[in-house]
This record gives sequence, structure tokens and C-alpha cells, in this order.
Amino acid sequence: MKLGERLQAAFDPLRWMGVALFVALWQAASASMAPILLPSPLAVLKRVGADFWSAPALSYYGVEQASLVANLVYTAENVTVAVIVGASLGALMGLVAARIWLVRAIVDPIMMTAGTVPILIAAPFLLIWFGVGRASAVSLVAFYVATILYLFAQRAARNLDPIYEQYALTLGARRGRTLRDILIPATIPEILGGFRIALAGAWGLEAVSELLGSQSGMGKVLEVLAGATDAQGILAALVLLGAAAIVADALAAGLIARFASWSAAGARTF
Amino acid sequence: MIEFVHVARDFTRGDGQRVVAVDDVSLIVPEGEFICLIGTSGCGKSTLLQLIAGLTPPSSGAIVLKGKEIAGPGADRGMVFQRDSVFPWMRVIDNVEYGLKCRGVPAATRKATAREYLARVGLSHVERAWPRELSGGMLKRVAIAAVFANGGEVLLLDEPFGALDYVTRRQLHQVLLTLWAAPGVARRTILFVTHDVDEALTLADRIVAMRTGRVIDDTPVRAARPRNDDSLLAPEMVAIKHKLLGHLGLDTPGASA
Repeated sequence: MKLGERLQAAFDPLRWMGVALFVALWQAASASMAPILLPSPLAVLKRVGADFWSAPALSYYGVEQASLVANLVYTAENVTVAVIVGASLGALMGLVAARIWLVRAIVDPIMMTAGTVPILIAAPFLLIWFGVGRASAVSLVAFYVATILYLFAQRAARNLDPIYEQYALTLGARRGRTLRDILIPATIPEILGGFRIALAGAWGLEAVSELLGSQSGMGKVLEVLAGATDAQGILAALVLLGAAAIVADALAAGLIARFASWSAAGARTF
Repeated sequence: MIEFVHVARDFTRGDGQRVVAVDDVSLIVPEGEFICLIGTSGCGKSTLLQLIAGLTPPSSGAIVLKGKEIAGPGADRGMVFQRDSVFPWMRVIDNVEYGLKCRGVPAATRKATAREYLARVGLSHVERAWPRELSGGMLKRVAIAAVFANGGEVLLLDEPFGALDYVTRRQLHQVLLTLWAAPGVARRTILFVTHDVDEALTLADRIVAMRTGRVIDDTPVRAARPRNDDSLLAPEMVAIKHKLLGHLGLDTPGASA
């Protein structure tokens, strides 16, 4: 899809109808409830503006960074590192496991079992091993991202039609070259699809892990605001977190459009 | 020259039963000859092509190309598959260049070669297109351009036009024959698998019929080229057609052979 068409699609009024409907319902609901329970969308937006650069109350509550933006950056950094590390390792392991049955036999049970461990069970162990801070949150998110990418990459490689590799061999490619020219490009759309799903989940996981044990980040902000029963602050933090996740998803969609434009999936990403 | 020396290939099916796909085939294919392999489904003709391509090793016997036993796939034997095998993640021109790139041909040379063959198959206007944007017939043209551009002396075509409509199939016969018989270039040896008797009579110098893994008939087609619809009505061609239809179990009672 060309840039003009993408922009046209992005600003298509129909695409924004869902958002408008949500805001309208929220507004209607807030009109019939006390602001302390459900503030209006405008009040939340004002709160985002007020706390964006400076929110001294946060440091009063024990959050290291006294602004929404600083906590958002902290969370975004953790998500970025975790997603890059987890996706790289997961995709690589998935592709290797698809080709080498011994690796598959060893890694599959670990990924399948560990991937189903709920975050509330896994988080305490990581807090014990890595302490309160970035390392435990990043490892937790990276692990879940790796699990998703492992499954997507392995499935993509195992579903790859062997005819492409055979065709490459009859054109003179060596086996090693077919990994680079066939296996990786052919599986990229499915891997990037998994990456997009993992990225969407990573924001939530990161927030939960910060909520369980961190002194910074949007998860910590949400925890302290929940403790103070500050519904307006909670919604402001959630709106900001959601906006960041939407921007990250748009970047991931751009990545898919760039590297998988040959596939029908890549062409209709936006 | 390709020499098949008592070539056999068997498989063990999922139910444990042994299946002989190719059974003691001995055949000599001179350089530059256009051979059609014809037979019913499961008679072993596609397996024979896989064996020449080196994608499957023979269970016994050997296939010798220019005095050297085939031990694996190589660029000297290009293959056009029945299903679409053109790489969807490469643009049309990159597909046609791919074999040359694998062999280390400089970028400018391989680009020029790819463009030349795309022009010959009538696809110059889509060289930057993605394969998903092309029709089935155009994809076959890309595959044919790729194997010819790659310069393999032997071309293996496994029912390449089987899924195409009548008109496209006939157009592609012309494309293939024009490339094969291009003046000033040594003719490639072609082994072409088909179910279609008329297709075989239009294309082949020689038609080899197979049944249950064995060669049951080997018929030269001496009609002059280029062949048209009238050529297929010549008595000699009609006689060959009846014989081949008989091999396929489609002979009509009372027809002269």
C-alpha cells in the first residue's frame, strides 16, 4: 500500500467511529456518576496535561519519578528492551527448533510449560533473583515475548512449503543459503504478526510487573493512585499508557508493511 | 546426454506398505532433445523428474549427466514445478536473477540477463511487481524465464501448465518452444511431464509413456516444427495419439492405431 493510501486509511472517519463511540459512552456514564468514581473524559484529559511534565504527588506517594512522562519513558524503555531481546531469542529458537528435531524436543516442553505460568506466580521468583527494578520486569516481559515468538516462528517455519527450498536448490542455491534467502524472508510476515501480538501484551505485562515490584513506571503509578482511590489519576495514567501502546502498535504495523509488503498480510497492515 | 541406468525408487507409505514409484528405468536422452513423459497419475513420471533434479536419490541404479553421476540438485538442471514455486517475497526481476546471484554472477550482468528473459516471455512491464500481483500464467512465465536465464543445460518441467486455462496453456507452449529453439543458442535438453496427449504431440521430439513406474513405450515424433492444429491431424500424429490414449486407458473402441 502506498503512503498516500495508508494515510487516507489512517484518517478514515469510519476507523475513528469506535473511539468516538467509546468516548461518548464514557461521557454519558460520567454524567450520571460522581466524579470521584468516574471523571469525565475532559477532566481526565486535563489531568494528563497537568501531570504530564510534573506531578509532585507521585513522589509523595513513593514513586521515584515525579511526572507521568518520566514514568512512561521508564516503562517504554523496559518494554523496548524486553521486546527486542525476547523477540530475537524467541524467533531464533523457533526457527532452529523447526529445523532440528532435537532442539524442538528439548525446548518445546520448556516453552510450553513455562509459557503457561501466570505472571503472579513468576513475578515473585524474578523479584527474588533480580531484585526490585528494571531487571526483573524486563526478564518477565522478555520471557513472555520470547514464548510467543518461539511459537509463531516455529509454526511459520514448519508450515513453509518445501517447494521453495527445492526450487532454490535447483537454481543453484546451497543449503546454507536457503536459510537466509528462503526460511527467514518466508517466515517474516508470520513472525512479525506474532511480534505485534507480543508487543500489545508486553505493555500490560510490564505494567503488572511494575505494579508488583518497582519504584518507577506506569505500573507503579497505577498502584499508588489506586491506593489513594484517585480515579481521575488512574484513568489519566491508563489513557497515556494506551496511547503509548497504540503508537507502538502503529510502529510495529509500519515494520510489517516494510518487511512483509510482498505478502497480502503485509499489504493490508494499515 | 542423460543416461538412466536401471533406475529405481521406492517409498514406504505411512501404512508401512512399500511403493515402487520408479521401477528399473533405463533410458538415454540425447542433448538438446525435447522429451515428454506421459502417463496416468502415480505412474512415476514426476518421481523420475525429482530423481534427475537430484531432489530425491534413487533407491538403486544411477542417472548420469555428461558422464557424471547425479548426486544432488544443481543449477545445471533447472526445474519448473507443477505448483507455483516463484518466491513470493522477491520481486519478479529478483526471482529471475536468483539463480545467477547464487552463482556469483555480477549484479549488472545478471540484471541484464534477467531483463532479456523477461522480455522474451513478455513480462518486461511487471519486472518490479510482486508475484502475488500476477496471474497463474504470468507466474509460469516468470518460472520459465528464471530457469532459462539460469542457463541450465537440462530443464525439467513437471506438468507446468496443468492448472492453466486452454488459451494460456497454448500461449505458454509457444513461449517455451520459442525459448528452446532460439537461434544461435544450443538447445537445452527438456524433460516435460504431462497428462495431455495433444500437449505432448505439440511439444515433443519424443514421447516416453510410463505405467506403474516402468517405461512402456518410447515414440519419436517426427512431424516438422512449428506444429499447429493441422499438424496434429496428420495420419502419423493421429496414430501416435491413439497409441498414447491407449496407454492412458482412454482408447476408443474401433479407432485405428
